[in-house]
Amino acid sequence: MNGWNGKILEIDLTTQTHKEYPLDMEMAKQFIGGRGLGARLLWDLVGPEVDPLSPENVLIFTNGPLTATGYQTSNRFSVTTKSPLTGTVLDANSGGFWGMQFKKTGYDVLIVRGKSPKPVWIEIKDSVVAINDASELWGMRVYAITEKLGQNNNKRNVLCIGPAGENLSRIAAIMNDRERAAARGGPGAVMGSKNLKAIVVEGSTRPEVDDKERYKFLMYETKKLLAASPLTSQALPEFGTVVLMNIMNNIGALATRNHQQTQFEGAEAISGEELTEKYLVKNASCWACPIGCTRISKTEKVEGEGPEFETTWAFGAQCGVDDLPAIIEVNSLCNDLGLDTISAGSTIACAMELSEKGYLDSDLRFGRADMLAGCVEDMAYRRDLGAELADGSLRLATKYGHPELSMSTKGLEFPAYDPRGLQGQGLLYATSNRGGCHMRGNMIGLEVLGLPKLIDRFQVQGKSAFVILHQNSNAAIDSLVVCKFTNMGVADEYFARVLGAVTGIPYATGELIKVGERVWNLERLYNNREGFTPKDDSLPPRLLTEAPTDGPSKGWVSHLEPMLKEYYRTRGWDENGVPTPKKLADLGLNKLVSGG
Amino acid sequence: MALIKLFANLRKIAGTKETSIMGASVGAVVSGLVKRYPALEASLLVRSPGGLPGNGQIRSHVIITLNGNPITDLNLVVTEEDQIAIFPPMAGG
Repeated sequence: MNGWNGKILEIDLTTQTHKEYPLDMEMAKQFIGGRGLGARLLWDLVGPEVDPLSPENVLIFTNGPLTATGYQTSNRFSVTTKSPLTGTVLDANSGGFWGMQFKKTGYDVLIVRGKSPKPVWIEIKDSVVAINDASELWGMRVYAITEKLGQNNNKRNVLCIGPAGENLSRIAAIMNDRERAAARGGPGAVMGSKNLKAIVVEGSTRPEVDDKERYKFLMYETKKLLAASPLTSQALPEFGTVVLMNIMNNIGALATRNHQQTQFEGAEAISGEELTEKYLVKNASCWACPIGCTRISKTEKVEGEGPEFETTWAFGAQCGVDDLPAIIEVNSLCNDLGLDTISAGSTIACAMELSEKGYLDSDLRFGRADMLAGCVEDMAYRRDLGAELADGSLRLATKYGHPELSMSTKGLEFPAYDPRGLQGQGLLYATSNRGGCHMRGNMIGLEVLGLPKLIDRFQVQGKSAFVILHQNSNAAIDSLVVCKFTNMGVADEYFARVLGAVTGIPYATGELIKVGERVWNLERLYNNREGFTPKDDSLPPRLLTEAPTDGPSKGWVSHLEPMLKEYYRTRGWDENGVPTPKKLADLGLNKLVSGG
Repeated sequence: MALIKLFANLRKIAGTKETSIMGASVGAVVSGLVKRYPALEASLLVRSPGGLPGNGQIRSHVIITLNGNPITDLNLVVTEEDQIAIFPPMAGG
């Protein structure tokens, strides 16, 4: 067996026991690893009767066959669970070093079930597993516990939750390697619900590669491809992801003040150019990554990783804030408390609008940079209004009688791109299996950045095919697991070749993308089983009915309905968004549904 | 004259964030920009085989917007009220 270790570790925190068993290799071939394998295991383990914050929910940590081989960006891992924020299938993935180190312990999968009677932390050292008392660690913030448990990037890596996860905030992240986050959808709350504070990994097993010569050559070619691409060799290292601020503002697709506008007059002040000129200390990178998009930034108060574009937008334009040092500092605070920055910022923005309109009695107002840090602290500790903010914008807005003011799909807050100026992006949000998310496909690449070619951002007809192509491709990449930025220099077909060289199993390009399609359909089946229907494939009324009154997207709303119909048809689903028997048979999923 | 805005490393190369250039089309304005700021040529234009400027052909992944709309057609007519923004290759999310 090459690539995979062939072993699953399962820990039951209720009984404080663990066992290991072989990975089903047929399942591994069909779903590869990461997000795909996680979704397949979750299908069997967590049904619709399970409350996401109950002991019956599970956390499934997965790596992939490429992980820790040394292939470019093969450092990531995925965590799969039922989301306490959305109730959907959830996978969140993260870079850094932990994923690589986890693979080196000799396992492909770690399943954590049950609930410990008292706080614990888990240590896995080369397949030796210990469940340790964490009573004295409970309450510690992320930076402190990461240091205390011995973080050492290439040797020993710490994954943990902060106070937000302990206090079951539904937007709590799982943090690793100090400042990396598996953030979206609230996996940190699931970890907190199990009284699990941290998982520390230390390993020495490098995965076997089937065809070493071919693999070595493919790595060499990948290096050349990444160096030749202006995106991976210049754009990302030079300005990081925040460089998107000005262009999204320029085209009138930068969601502003809880999506009330599509351009922000303070965009320049929070741009990548500004960050680079005034606050950048140096670049950093994850394990085995030649791109190095991470920014180390510094203000008078903090120094650390980030902020990324989405974070800068969420606490910036979305909250009407143009104070970049305040944003850098609140980003650092979210990392230390273990909060999803996109959901945290957007939930505050929702509260700002509720307050300005008189629906919520608070001092929050757009532009109040001085209130961001306090809000985030209160969220993590569930103090005062923070107790309500801690569960995300949809629950907050619903409580105050205006669910339409939550800028989310299925309860997951959107990132920066306003879908009124980006029709395909709107369809992507509406159909994303984990809720309003930009990481399920890169329509910005097609509709704005011309990657690989520019298409009309306002076009409606025919958009679904592009969205589906991206969704399937991203699901495959998330199952390998590698960084999506690599895909900006290296085509899908290349990953298929690398996968073949590592595992010895020939994967044609079409087969790899078919894995992605299989994963997407399985996630859809999971959500359907949970009771989700086409009405959940939607966008907030604001985006469907309120056109911007000025700027380049003036007069446009999201024309979701015709795109959605076309999307279901192109996916091979019926008019209720249910995959047809023919589609399921084609993907080898029919036995799951029939129970065979 | 159309207003041209530059972003990311193009600002550093040109030494300015914005300028105004005369030209009847987007292509003509970009050519005028490169004439005024020759250092931008390597970032914006494809070089022809002889090493001379490549007939105004824009390098791949350079993004040009006309009044906030991404475009690829350099023959689009430009008026004095128009605003052109030029971005180097960029990515993120």
